[in-house]
Amino acid sequence: MSSRRIAVTASRTLTIAAWIAGIAVWAALPWLLGRGSVDILVFAGLYTIAGLGVSFLLGQCGIVSLAQSVFYGIGAYSTAYGTTVLGWPIPACMLAGIVVSGLVAMLVGTPVLRLSGYFLALATLALAIMGHVLFLEWDWLTGGTLGIGGIPHLSLFGFTLNTPFRFYYFIWPCAAVVLWLHYNLLRSRTGIALRAMRDAPSAAKVAGIRVESLRVRTFILSAVLGSFAGSLFAHYVSFVSVDSFGIDRAIGFLLIAVLGGARSISGTVVGALFVTAAPNLLSRLGEIHPLLFALLLIVAVIFLPSGFGGAFADLWRRLGGSLRPTVKDGTP
Amino acid sequence: MTEAADDLLKVRNISRHFGGLQVLRHVDFAVPERSITGLIGPNGAGKSTLFNIISGFLTPSEGDIDYAGVRITPLSIQQRSEMGLMRSFQTPQVFPDLTVWENLIVGCHKHGRSGMVEGLLALPVVWRERRAASEAAQRILEDFNLGAVSGRLARELPAGQQRIVELARAVIARPRLLCLDEPSSGLSADEVQDLMATIHRISKTGVTILLVSHDMELISVCERIHALCFGEIIANGTLAEIQAHPDVREAYLGIQ
Repeated sequence: MSSRRIAVTASRTLTIAAWIAGIAVWAALPWLLGRGSVDILVFAGLYTIAGLGVSFLLGQCGIVSLAQSVFYGIGAYSTAYGTTVLGWPIPACMLAGIVVSGLVAMLVGTPVLRLSGYFLALATLALAIMGHVLFLEWDWLTGGTLGIGGIPHLSLFGFTLNTPFRFYYFIWPCAAVVLWLHYNLLRSRTGIALRAMRDAPSAAKVAGIRVESLRVRTFILSAVLGSFAGSLFAHYVSFVSVDSFGIDRAIGFLLIAVLGGARSISGTVVGALFVTAAPNLLSRLGEIHPLLFALLLIVAVIFLPSGFGGAFADLWRRLGGSLRPTVKDGTP
Repeated sequence: MTEAADDLLKVRNISRHFGGLQVLRHVDFAVPERSITGLIGPNGAGKSTLFNIISGFLTPSEGDIDYAGVRITPLSIQQRSEMGLMRSFQTPQVFPDLTVWENLIVGCHKHGRSGMVEGLLALPVVWRERRAASEAAQRILEDFNLGAVSGRLARELPAGQQRIVELARAVIARPRLLCLDEPSSGLSADEVQDLMATIHRISKTGVTILLVSHDMELISVCERIHALCFGEIIANGTLAEIQAHPDVREAYLGIQ
């Protein structure tokens, strides 16, 4: 009994120590890194939020979505147009983006999410292409290729978040809250229902789970995250143009989900760090860098089939396995 | 009181065709409340189609399904489930990447009300529901002797145990009518004996059971049996009556 208690205490101490070390490293990073690197970390934070939407859809619902760039764009343009043309307050613009994204997700998702597998992925790709074309063509709203500039920076407690350094300390707590909310969701009645319907939709229906509606609601949630990240992006860079919301961005968000390990929520962070930092680091090696990035992706997918998140979970289990008492039943 | 008033399920004049193929022809039968009723028939008799129509996976080309005095033909699978009409599947449909425990928690889904927002914010209602579901799951684990495997992923279990998990998940949902589709397929003789005992036990708690099977041993738990052949009910009665019925003997054994 006492050895069991020691094991539990040791495991808990290990977890707390890892958390404290992680937070300390996070807080110290901007002081140690250059402006360019902190900028990359800010983008990793933004992409964590948007990528989590894609990752959650993929991992918990089995829905491959390439449409996140559209919602990211809606969020960015809502806040850009709202603040610069309409003169609305920033929170109202962000909220408008979220509402519009949610509505678009509902209208598009209701028919499209009846599809599955490759057909669904292709339908979301079509949505991404349509979004990109509309962002380009509706230049009265989006500024077309010229974009919209002069978007005000966010201010918090008298600090204007106009440098990567300051934005870093804002975006990552935002990402942490979003991750925490999704942890909660995963453990709730809805979260278990999501996983059930992903694995056996017929049996889930018999259990009373409204499969179609739950898929649409999760798609809406994913769109809301995309829009939120897009709005924050617009306030960070203070200039948005259609180039930021193309197919490459959509694929980037999907990569975050796949590399991070779609079934792991925290893996999204690593996926986002990889997608933002790897191309940048590789670019120092010269013209060949896109090829190297592609190669790195292939290697990552082959050796980490369940993504970084899955690999870390394995490692953590092995590290803690010798310390932690074995769980005999699944009682939470 | 007439006999019909005690019927929980009434299959009325159900026909179903797939293109030119007529699978069910004017099928009529009833399942009395609290009974164990059997539906037998050779392969291709239309048993699964009928089951899918009763549970809402298929719509009939003609006819109606009444359940607890309500015409449920237009209702969805989920609406039927909320009324207490549950089913199992021919190949056990557990949630493979969920633990046995979580499979049971899914069974409690319809007793909860919390949605996505409450889940995201981890509001107290989420925890209340989880506690209630956990307590129910604990009881069912003991009833079905699944305590030792509750933390295992459902896909790691042998087929027989997956059936038990599926059954336990249906029972935790507090069904009024439990439709079991070939529950003994893939089970050993011993496991079939256990299954029969379990079916009796579930029945004693007041649950009405409709059993589809072509396993004559298992079907012996039924009080009344309907025999389906080429989409038509050809006989009904007790097991002895059914076994002696010339049409059934011909359909099953080719004996005139």
